[in-house]
This record gives sequence, structure tokens and C-alpha cells, in this order.
Amino acid sequence: MTDRDLDDLLALAARQPPLPGPDLIDRVLQDALALQAVLPQGPAPLGVAAARPGPLARLSGLFGGWPVLAGVCSTLILGLAVGYLSPATADYLTGGGSAEALDLFPSTEFLTTEG
Amino acid sequence: MTMAYDADPDIPDETLMVLYANGDRQAALALTRRITPRVLGYAARLLGGDRAEAEDVAQETMLRLWRVAPDWRQGETRVTTWAYRVATNLCRDRHRSRSRRGQVALDTVADPADESPGAVSRLQDAARLAALEAALATLPQRQRQAVVLRHIEGLANPEIAIVMDIGVEAVESLTARGKRNLAAVLAGQKAELGYEDDADDR
Repeated sequence: MTDRDLDDLLALAARQPPLPGPDLIDRVLQDALALQAVLPQGPAPLGVAAARPGPLARLSGLFGGWPVLAGVCSTLILGLAVGYLSPATADYLTGGGSAEALDLFPSTEFLTTEG
Repeated sequence: MTMAYDADPDIPDETLMVLYANGDRQAALALTRRITPRVLGYAARLLGGDRAEAEDVAQETMLRLWRVAPDWRQGETRVTTWAYRVATNLCRDRHRSRSRRGQVALDTVADPADESPGAVSRLQDAARLAALEAALATLPQRQRQAVVLRHIEGLANPEIAIVMDIGVEAVESLTARGKRNLAAVLAGQKAELGYEDDADDR
């Protein structure tokens, strides 16, 4: 038998599949309707069933979600801004005071001295 | 009056699944009419023409389809691919038990559809199809699945790879070996099946 004979024979089989009888169609349909009656039916429109989180949503999920990611970004931007500003500008923003002489707890000096 | 979805090929099977899950009875009918014949034909060929067992496989496959409908995720796989895969597994289980019994119901090959131009041609087609079914039954199961899916059900190799859970290269190999074995089995019946005149076409 040649390849062409075999291809023709397979094509013949493809054109003439075993047809289901009405009994089988009835049984399958009865199963379908019986199960459909007890399915939880939601109002989901077409296409929603395939809804999945996108790449950005999955990335934000790695960091704990959008709120956490927003906080991290804000801190990052503030850190960059503070690092970029010159000391003179920082002095202007803080009123020009020097931190060298700042003593927050002068009365606790005795704790660090040997007596 | 709702329209008959099965008569409208523009409505994809995946959409019908969502409609079915939302309670649409016409979608149930359409999917039944579309998918059941394909699963039945595939199962019948995998099971060596045992019509009763093939109908059981088709009904069970469709039952699983209805159950999975509410969770169906569009775009992941085609409904037919999913159905073929379930049918493959069901046939595999039944084939194992039938192999233990050592019987193949070759006498239950389905009658071909009545579309042939004449009685002689119809008889010859029936004889050829019966010989093909018998030859398919002699193939190793994986080769039979690959040949039927590729050359009778008309699936593409990547789709067959999903159904059979193997690589595309393995599909190609199984299909090629299956066809070679089929040709070898049928070679002895060439004249009987009316292929002797085709020899000149080579």
C-alpha cells in the first residue's frame, strides 16, 4: 500500500466518523441539564472567567501589594531628594542651626562619666 | 426563541462553555452536538470499534466537561483538546482492562454515513474502513492515538502533544511509525480493498 493509498484511506475515515445515535445525544444532554440546574450561576460576563492578574499586579504582589509598594517608592524618592540637596539648602530648610552643639539630654551626662 | 448555537460556527466552544455555566440550555445542546460526535469517533477508533464502550467514554467525557464548565479558563486550552485528552485517558484505562480480557470487537465497527455515490462504492468504502479499523487495532496504543488524532481527527501536532502529554517531536515520531506500521498491515489486503490500480500512480 502506497503512502497515497493510506492518506486516502485515512481521509475517508475522517469524512465518515461513527455518528452518535439519538440515545447517546439524549443521555449527554440530560446529564448537561441536570448538572446545569445545580451549578452556582454567576452573572460573570463573557471573558471574565479568564481574568488573571497582569505582570504589574504580580510584581506588586511580590512586595506585599500596592500600599506597601507605594510606601517603598515614596521613601526612595525622599531619600534621593535629600541626598541630592546641597548642605546649604538643607541649612535653609532646617533654619540654619548647627547640630554639633545640640544636646538633647544634658542632665544625663553623669551616666557616661566614671566617678 | 433562542437561536441554535450549534448551527453557528462563529460562536466558539469556549464561549458556549461560559454560556452553559451561566445557565444557557441552548449552549448545552450546542456543545453536546458539537463535541460528542468527535469524542465518540475518537474513542471508537481507540477502542477497536467497540461502539458501546466508546459511547460510555463519550458520555463520561461530556459529564466531566459539564462539571468543569464553571471553572473554565478561556484562552488556556481548546474545549476539543481538553475533551480529547480526557477521552484518551478514559480509553487508556478501558484498553488496559480489555487487553487483560484479550478481545477486540472488530465486528462492531460503525456503519459509514450514507453519502457514497453508489452501492458498489459504498461497499468498497465500508470494506476499506473496516480494514483500517482492524489495522489501527494492531498498532501500539500511543501510535494509534497519534495517527487517529493527526490524520482522522485533524489535530495539529502541538495540539496532539497537549492531548497526549508528550513533546511535538515525539508526536511526529509516533505518527510516522504508526503510518508505516499501518501501511505494512494493510499491504496484504491491497488487492482485496481495490487498491491494485493505484500502483501506477507512484
